[in-house]
Amino acid sequence: MTASDVALVGLGMTAMSLSPGRAPQELAREALGLALADAGVTHGDVDGLLVGSSQGIRPDRLGVAFAAQGGFSDLRLLEHVEIKGATTIAMIQRAALAIETGVARTVVCVFADAPLVAGKGAGSAYAHSGGQSGVRGLERASGMLGSVPTYALLAQRWMHLSGATADDLCAMATTTRAWALGNPAAVVRTPLDAEGYLASPLIAEPLRRLDCARPVNGAVAVVVSGDTGLGHPVRVRVRGSGREHPVRHRRAGAESWFGGGRRAVDDALAAAGMSRSDLDVAELYDPFSVVTLMLLEEYGLTDGRTAGEFVRAGETGPGGRLPTNTGGGQLSGFYLQGMTPLAEAVIQLRGDGGERQVAGASTALVGGIGGRLDHHAALLLERAA
Amino acid sequence: MTVLTADWLLSDTLAPQVEGDPLAPLYAGSDRGELVLPFCAACALPLDLDQQVCDGCGAAEITWRAVEPTGTVHSMTVMHRREPGLVVAAEPYPILDVELASGHRLIMTTRTHPSSLPRIGDPVAVAFRNLGGVAIPSADLDPAAPPTTEASS
Ligand SMILES: [Zn+2]
Repeated sequence: MTASDVALVGLGMTAMSLSPGRAPQELAREALGLALADAGVTHGDVDGLLVGSSQGIRPDRLGVAFAAQGGFSDLRLLEHVEIKGATTIAMIQRAALAIETGVARTVVCVFADAPLVAGKGAGSAYAHSGGQSGVRGLERASGMLGSVPTYALLAQRWMHLSGATADDLCAMATTTRAWALGNPAAVVRTPLDAEGYLASPLIAEPLRRLDCARPVNGAVAVVVSGDTGLGHPVRVRVRGSGREHPVRHRRAGAESWFGGGRRAVDDALAAAGMSRSDLDVAELYDPFSVVTLMLLEEYGLTDGRTAGEFVRAGETGPGGRLPTNTGGGQLSGFYLQGMTPLAEAVIQLRGDGGERQVAGASTALVGGIGGRLDHHAALLLERAA
Repeated sequence: MTVLTADWLLSDTLAPQVEGDPLAPLYAGSDRGELVLPFCAACALPLDLDQQVCDGCGAAEITWRAVEPTGTVHSMTVMHRREPGLVVAAEPYPILDVELASGHRLIMTTRTHPSSLPRIGDPVAVAFRNLGGVAIPSADLDPAAPPTTEASS
């Protein structure tokens, strides 16, 4: 079996919900059922299960107990994969490796998250999490509540170094929202212009509310298989992947957050025998507008222009050279960590994008980041001929 | 009647755990008015606050020692979102990432409500604020300003 036989053959997604209530296991069960049905397979066809869940604020996060909870029989592969926001791509890599080496034939990857809990807004829930010990305890005692100020510091530093401006953030947020209008699964689907963006309150300078992802509850499951006799009629092949984990230290002489990622993309492209000009769409992890801008530059996707110039020229938007985050992105509440970028790539490559479909899309780059840009992962997908 | 010092910014409930905490040497130093940070005992490389093994030489022994309480601003944000119950300040507040003369980078807010804010690259002095009885390193932008106080019986 060659790597190109491994394909994503089933996709299931719950609604992106703003309503607290359902537990991660229940959401996972729904996504699993939808993915198996989409692939036209049953539990009995599955011999591998990988689960992912956000660490953090729920003690009842999804784990390997889902094998029993989800109704599976004996499995050959079962793991909880965890490298923060890069987990989804790590799961696909793990599944592909198991399939290529004959450990398993058909693997389901499930991610569920339910950060919204009754009685608290999402920002409040994150602000109250993190604890009083260790480095995080000191940071929280210094006013670093939630994840926004971390990325605000990173954004300020990046803007200082790169010359990027608040106008660039605005362009990224409004362009991304333009895609959401065509995605019924996105939570926020109202048009956004610069005026609307500037009316959005500052959370931590330079980030406004509309620079930040909209957390939702939900789950996504994908079926990965090397068996060409089963699955959705349009196979989405796993053509290449790459990882980079820059180990950084917070000390003078080097940047704390930047650099890394390009090699992950280079490796994914090399494995696929492709170059950047072969990419039809890019689905990047965008918890904050500034992250998409940074990743476009770090991944080398802007034709030598700054990310701000690239985005303001419309290159990432509908009709642009590299349609990016075509489901509206995490900024529009299409946000189940790395799973929604992956799901959107599958939707585009199947031609199922409806109003937001990128004509003729046959290749997709999926990018994942974790932590404070400590983990980079890239995945190259191609629609089977 | 005793006079307790109350932090200008945060609720006491955010006071860090000190006893048994990995950062206990930092808090003990701060309590004495010294900025105490970790270095490799073998090669003196400044280490991350939670680092266990030196990435420069591989040594696992760490020395915490007092450093010069000065640095420059590596990055800075003003936090507008003020979480009810956790933030007591009525105005947006600064968070600074300070690159210290020792080479460490440390996140801090300011000792008192700042009258003006520095920019990336500007020098800052480090002092301490008191949060629920724990001394916390903080940027001292207005050295003449007294800490916030409240009377309680
Ligand atoms: Zn050393």
